[in-house]
Amino acid sequence: MAEYSLNCRGMQCPGPIMQLFTQMKTAQPGDVVTIVVTDMGFRKDIDAWCRKTKNTLVSIEEKDGVITAVVRKGE
Amino acid sequence: MKLLIIGGVAAGTKAAARARREYPDATVTIVTQDDYVAYAGCGLPYFVGGEITEARELIVRTPDEFKHENRIDVLTRHQATVIDATAHTVTVRDLNNGTDIVFPYDKLIIATGALPLIPNIPGANLKRISTVRGLNDALKIRAMLDTGKIKNAVVVGGGFIGLEMAENLSRRGVQVAVIELKDAILPGFDPEIAALVAKQLREHNVAVYTGEALTEIIGNAASEATEAITTGRRLPADMVIFAAGIKPNTAVAIAAGIDADPRGMILVDEYLHTNLPDIFAVGDCASVRNRQTDADVFSPLGSTANKTGRLVVANLFEDTEKFSGVLGTTIVRLFDYHAGRTGLSTQEAKDAGYDVETVLVPTPDRAHYFPGNRMIITKLIADRATHKLLGAQVAGTGVVDKPIDTLSVGIAMGMTIEQLSGMDLAYTPPFASALNSSIVAANVMLNKLAGKVRGVSPFDLKLNDPTLQLLDVRTEPEFIISAIPGAINIPIEELHPRIGELDPTRPTVVVCKVGRRAYAGALELSRAGFTDVAILDGGMTAWPYETE
Repeated sequence: MAEYSLNCRGMQCPGPIMQLFTQMKTAQPGDVVTIVVTDMGFRKDIDAWCRKTKNTLVSIEEKDGVITAVVRKGE
Repeated sequence: MKLLIIGGVAAGTKAAARARREYPDATVTIVTQDDYVAYAGCGLPYFVGGEITEARELIVRTPDEFKHENRIDVLTRHQATVIDATAHTVTVRDLNNGTDIVFPYDKLIIATGALPLIPNIPGANLKRISTVRGLNDALKIRAMLDTGKIKNAVVVGGGFIGLEMAENLSRRGVQVAVIELKDAILPGFDPEIAALVAKQLREHNVAVYTGEALTEIIGNAASEATEAITTGRRLPADMVIFAAGIKPNTAVAIAAGIDADPRGMILVDEYLHTNLPDIFAVGDCASVRNRQTDADVFSPLGSTANKTGRLVVANLFEDTEKFSGVLGTTIVRLFDYHAGRTGLSTQEAKDAGYDVETVLVPTPDRAHYFPGNRMIITKLIADRATHKLLGAQVAGTGVVDKPIDTLSVGIAMGMTIEQLSGMDLAYTPPFASALNSSIVAANVMLNKLAGKVRGVSPFDLKLNDPTLQLLDVRTEPEFIISAIPGAINIPIEELHPRIGELDPTRPTVVVCKVGRRAYAGALELSRAGFTDVAILDGGMTAWPYETE
């Protein structure tokens, strides 16, 4: 199981979700991606994206305007 | 001078305090039927919700303080019953003992405010039903909540007070449903902005039912409300809040021969005189002039009441200060969402005969890369003939009061969109974008006024038109997250090679997240010979309706 990290601070939508989407294409099921973003719209987006794909939102937290989300690739 | 003031909330006490400063030798008396004076009526919902912890925080000044610090006599629970304009007297009933007192006056200020409308329906007099007008109402509602028996509440009326009550009841753990008779909540806002706010309320677990009327309230054996019946549904209701509008409290004034409009609003001139000598009217009971239409309007707001209450004192003996009128500027906070408006709405502008153009522009409220930035949506309403800004509405989780105040000043000064585009506004990343949100909106408006792009508002998009081709040019993951039902997804980068998948003869609306990619897509389609192309104003960010 591999772990990836994406720094998407400063990127506007669709930057962060595209980066995650591209990373997920190369990742294997069970791999974990940690993504850091400053676009507050990302919180809703990542939640909806994980629900509509087979990926799992493991955790998401916001501190001082910075969101850190952890996503596990589904089967 | 004997100055008598009827009413002691905002306008009345403001007038009394200034009169004391300007006329040190005057006798200043306030009579009010209320138990309290000088309280912050607009703060009542937050007292119910607990953000304001104690009632005394809302009381600016007590009768005792008025007496000892200002030499102003305040008589609470004293109701004015007869105004005799010829004799210059007011008969006042002491509600404690039923006796009448006659007060002579040299100058009389009527600041009697407004009364909540109570729907005339079966069950309206049950227990656990309240209006939200005075401090007494808020104390009663808080006491009911403190019993822990209120699980479900129905709020009747989707205006500011109703929605603020819905938020605050929800903060107290109550399941809330809002019933609004009209097709949209938030009167005065354009329908898509109101729909965005309704969407936010629903996301915070507050039900919103528009186009429905309350028909009956059902009670239990103890005559306590338990259920509300509307024209559309039955709702559990351990509490019912009436916030379905207010009417001027002016029966006594009208009986004295003071001119009022059919709804009872006292008509005053710009110096706040009524038609009778030495009698003035201020605050929610009196008319104000709309700066744009020149019409006498009912604009019952704390901001106006404080301004007119203060201003009237300058005009007691000669006309010295004119009230410049209102633009209908208002703002509301509902959970983490904010919405403000100023000037004419789209419909009001059309009704006033303007050739109207609008834009709906989402932008971050500060630099997009700066942590803490939040989205706001700016709607501008302009006159195609003169390019003058007629109205503005801003909504979102970001800062909206700053742009609304800026735009309000612009409208008051007769600003054009070109002038707005060139405004020198404060910028540094923690506060704003290099191109300020209002300037970006102005620039989009200029593109539209120049005919470079045609936009369709969410409210006007005809999704059920079978010939409509709705093209979403966002990326695949964005499209997966949420899309308008029936949209075709061709990311903007792929549009050129895949343009053959679309029918150039059908009306086509291009959508993206905020409008930038849609604009590029629309230009590409037009160049390829598509004849009927528009973009969706505000993109997915401002789309208030269903997605899939």
